[in-house]
Amino acid sequence: MCIGTIKGCEKKLIMSFLSLVVKNPFRNKTRSALAIVGISIGIIVIVALGMVTGGLENSTQSTLKAGAAEITVIQTGSSSFGSGGSLNESLAASLLNISGVKDTAGILRATNTSTTVATTTSNSSSGGFGAEGGVSVTGIDANKLSLIGVDTINGTAFTNTSTNQVIMGTTIAQSLNKTVGDTIDLYGKNFTITGTYETGNFITDAGIMMPLSTLQNLTNNQNKISDVLVKVTDNANVTTVSQSIENAYPNQLSTTTAADEANRINQGLSFINTASWAISLLAIFIGAVGVINTMIMSVYERTREIGVLKAVGWRDRRILGMILGESIVLTLLAFVIGTIVAVVGVELILTLSPSVGGIIKPSFAYDIFLRAFVVAFLVGVIGGLYPAYRASRLSPTEALRYE
Amino acid sequence: MNNNENIIEIKGLKKSYDNGKIKALNGMDLEVKRGEFISIMGPSGSGKSSLLNMIGALDRADEGSIKVAGIDLMKTKKLYEFRSKEIGFVFQMHNLIPNLSVLENVQIPMFETKTSSKDMKKRALELLKAVNLEDKINQKPTRLSGGERQRVAIARALVNHPSIILADEPTGSLDSKTGEVILNLLKDLHSKENVTLVMVTHEPYVGKMAERIVTVLDGKCQNIIQSSQAG
Repeated sequence: MCIGTIKGCEKKLIMSFLSLVVKNPFRNKTRSALAIVGISIGIIVIVALGMVTGGLENSTQSTLKAGAAEITVIQTGSSSFGSGGSLNESLAASLLNISGVKDTAGILRATNTSTTVATTTSNSSSGGFGAEGGVSVTGIDANKLSLIGVDTINGTAFTNTSTNQVIMGTTIAQSLNKTVGDTIDLYGKNFTITGTYETGNFITDAGIMMPLSTLQNLTNNQNKISDVLVKVTDNANVTTVSQSIENAYPNQLSTTTAADEANRINQGLSFINTASWAISLLAIFIGAVGVINTMIMSVYERTREIGVLKAVGWRDRRILGMILGESIVLTLLAFVIGTIVAVVGVELILTLSPSVGGIIKPSFAYDIFLRAFVVAFLVGVIGGLYPAYRASRLSPTEALRYE
Repeated sequence: MNNNENIIEIKGLKKSYDNGKIKALNGMDLEVKRGEFISIMGPSGSGKSSLLNMIGALDRADEGSIKVAGIDLMKTKKLYEFRSKEIGFVFQMHNLIPNLSVLENVQIPMFETKTSSKDMKKRALELLKAVNLEDKINQKPTRLSGGERQRVAIARALVNHPSIILADEPTGSLDSKTGEVILNLLKDLHSKENVTLVMVTHEPYVGKMAERIVTVLDGKCQNIIQSSQAG
């Protein structure tokens, strides 16, 4: 151990300008800690919101994934979700005649609000996924699952002739604490879960799928469908095909492309992003004021010391670099603390609340952390610039006289 | 190096503050030989500290000429470089940096000299040994006595091999016994390192330790006597 003699202490004795810059901010621990807390709050906001909105953006992107249908066709005037069967099942086959259409799938979307499911859900640890709006159930042909984005299934798909088999999105499975082989009550009937799926789309992953005919019978929608999913040929233009469908069925059918859907969600996310930046900037501004205050106080208190450094030959540039460096040390430390708190906080919230956790898969994209780092660094530079300039311009004689 | 050459040459030096209302130096003339030990005495406000600041290039004069270690301080722009290479300061209040260890405090002036970390350490340890503080190198200044702090300040002043040590009331905040130890140390190091020592003091017994006593009054050098004649 190094007690204070020359022998055995060699490693400890080497001092660099950098170590001085790192040490100095902690001379007044309370003040520095408060400045760090201020900046950390801003960093937490940037990282946490970045992770959440990034996760939602990833989910949106998955709606555009290869293999899935590019166009959704619904009856003009009806809503896309939970509208019941308003179209004739034969429409799916008719649409195949339109140029550019490669494949179609007629689906029926319904919402199961049966007491059994609602009770099960509200009693679950999730805090009630589906308790308010029920569970989204989609009827679809088993061999058309890829058109809705279900490429891989953990377990097996239901058989089209079955009347008691379903597959379940991972989000709702997690929320209801169900797995392959378990049963679930839907519309007063017991269904076996033959498989679970994960598409990356938080809406699809929060639903249940069963054979089209089974759902039609359960909801009294025989031969009826709510949407037709359309996959276009490789060389076809999605917008042109979409327009052709609407032209073929004027005032009857409306189309939405996956790109439109993604754009709409992205617009919402863009709004969230803007709001999160506004909140972040406010937090950063408050933090920056804290840093400026800390550094100005530090320079005031160390005026005499700065005079000594000038007296022993330190150039103005070195003093400027020292104070600026100290400011950057504070904000980079705030970046580290803020990032850790944000990551742990987001993970903790999503773990404690599986219903939210199932919908939002936080993004760990490097640009979120890079953005926070750049912000922290810039706040350090901006916050330290004036105090550093002031310190570097101090007259040595006046600084040495300072009491 | 020739000890007969003048290391400090000051002629007609003037410095005023507060828009000329306060004349700190009013035509100061002074010559100091290399390796000499002089003390500057005089009442408060006589211009002692201003003279020290001019020699140490902490401030620029308004008029006159001042050459220190062959450098014209009225003309040179890189005053920091001059201070780093030629001057070592010892202040009354030692002015050590509280969060740095004794050793780190001594190394501080070497940052501008492009000395390697290894050489910085070697030189600082050498001086701390010379001031009998080799067992306190990792301690913070706040844990040292007044005399020990001043010894650290002396080591710091000598670390860059300066030509001149400027000591402003180096014993002013010490008791007489500790003050005497510090003065003997300064005198001893001044001889060993062949460094010119210019010391400002109020105390006649401190002044008498120098080879010459320069009395400053109203911003001028009034009297220069050899210490042996000081009586």
